[in-house]
Amino acid sequence: MQSPFRDSPKSLNIFRIRFPIGAIASIGHRISGVLLLFGLPVLALVLDRSLTSEAAFESLREAVDTPWWGLLLLALIWAAAHHVLAGVRHLLMDIGIGSPLDQARTSAWAVILTAVIIAIAAAIRWLA
Amino acid sequence: MHISIYRYDPDSGENPRMQDYAIELAPGDRKLLDVLMRLKDVDDSLSFRRSCREGVCGSDGMNINGRNGLACMTSLSALKEPVVLHPLPGFPVIRDLVVDMTQFFAHYHAIKPYLIDDGTPPEREHLQTPEQRERLDGLYECILCACCSAFCPSYWWNPDKFIGPAGLLQAYRFIADSRDTGTVERLAFLDDVYRLYRCRTIMNCTEVCPKGLSPSHAIERIRLELVRASS
Amino acid sequence: MKVFLGQRAWLVQRASALTLLLLVALGAALLLLGPALNHERWHALATSAHGAVIIVLFFAALSLHGWVGARDIVLDYVPSTAARLSVLSIVAAILFAVVIRVALTMAAHLSPVS
Ligand code: HEM
Ligand code: SF4
Ligand code: SF4
Ligand code: FES
Repeated sequence: MQSPFRDSPKSLNIFRIRFPIGAIASIGHRISGVLLLFGLPVLALVLDRSLTSEAAFESLREAVDTPWWGLLLLALIWAAAHHVLAGVRHLLMDIGIGSPLDQARTSAWAVILTAVIIAIAAAIRWLA
Repeated sequence: MHISIYRYDPDSGENPRMQDYAIELAPGDRKLLDVLMRLKDVDDSLSFRRSCREGVCGSDGMNINGRNGLACMTSLSALKEPVVLHPLPGFPVIRDLVVDMTQFFAHYHAIKPYLIDDGTPPEREHLQTPEQRERLDGLYECILCACCSAFCPSYWWNPDKFIGPAGLLQAYRFIADSRDTGTVERLAFLDDVYRLYRCRTIMNCTEVCPKGLSPSHAIERIRLELVRASS
Repeated sequence: MKVFLGQRAWLVQRASALTLLLLVALGAALLLLGPALNHERWHALATSAHGAVIIVLFFAALSLHGWVGARDIVLDYVPSTAARLSVLSIVAAILFAVVIRVALTMAAHLSPVS
């Protein structure tokens, strides 16, 4: 059925919505998925170079020490951590484990914080 | 109390705007709806729906300080000022806080919200065991206020194709009913990227349901029923 | 659009996620157990039978997983059919190129000549 009001304005300003923690974990899952998707071609090329020769392998190691590649790696580490943790959370909730609201809130917090802690740990290791 | 309310008058030709109100709380004011009704005495151009004023009719769903809820069930004491009121997000606005629910109810009708029975009718009535009846708890109580669907990001992006949490909760209410023989056709209807599978288990729906129901749980059950049906 | 299946895509997403999880765990275990990583050890590991299987399976599962994921995102945020088809073809092309690239790499290093 077509609504006579379909051209009316809508109130949908996502910056004025108070998102619950589960929604934050979820958008993080999506953003991290996209980041990993962008990282995929890089990963394929890195795989190729790492196998080519001793020198190429070492040059990859050195690249990681430069700020830009280091930052990219850091972003991918956060993304991988968040995505895998949030992914496991989803898979468990799909079969009814942890899907009641209170548990889902706790696990959402746990996923977000753990991924950030992993990223911070990686950053500290990288700086050291 | 300071309240900032979304105003839109389709006849004025003007864009929606926010209007600020200041109103003294009266001793009897408990819920947000109490204040809205008194505001309407002051400014009778202000439009919103309400009927039962006790969380039964489902007509005063709105976005209150960034979260959807029923004005009649929202305690004033829990609200930060200024209280910011918007109509249900993503729904076409008819006037002020009144939104058009046509699409929302079209989804509700599409899931066939009634018992399907192809068998021979029983002599007197369909009996259910207490356990069978219990499976409908947490499903039948829905008042179709649309707070959940209007808080669901997946519903914002595809309101014309995704059935949304409210409709899916109702769909499961009939799938779960021991007297209904339409499960196979119901599941076949839902097995679609849009109708069911736009849900990403964000659980915004369950977060805001004023009746404490869990549409995300109903959706989880439907997906598992579909897995069982196809294996 | 009939190609956008409902339950099938959902199951592919879950199955590929589980596969990826398993492979990542296996790969991480292989890398972390044992001496520090240098080119020699990495090369031996990656071109060993189980190493190569893990790598190839990983990229195969990933392309399926990424495909369904990208498709879901496009269905949410890109309303017009034409724009959808162009974004999706770019994603498909990239995923395809990645899989081919990895296959070529592995083939080159697995062959006894290299
Ligand atoms: C580097 C590898 C990976 C990439 C590139 C990737 C990419 C993606 C993308 C783009 C999405 C769509 C997100 C959305 O719909 O909002 C997604 C969803 C998903 N991913 Fe991954 N993923 C990867 C690894 C994994 C792993 C190892 C797991 C296992 C735990 C996993 C579990 C999931 C699940 C369960 C979903 C569906 C979530 C939903 O329905 O919202 N992913 N992935
Ligand atoms: S499930 Fe809850 S929020 Fe959704 S329509 Fe029903 S009562 Fe309202
Ligand atoms: S769980 Fe599903 S239906 Fe509920 S808000 Fe999230 S995406 Fe929407
Ligand atoms: S007025 Fe009926 S639900 Fe609020």
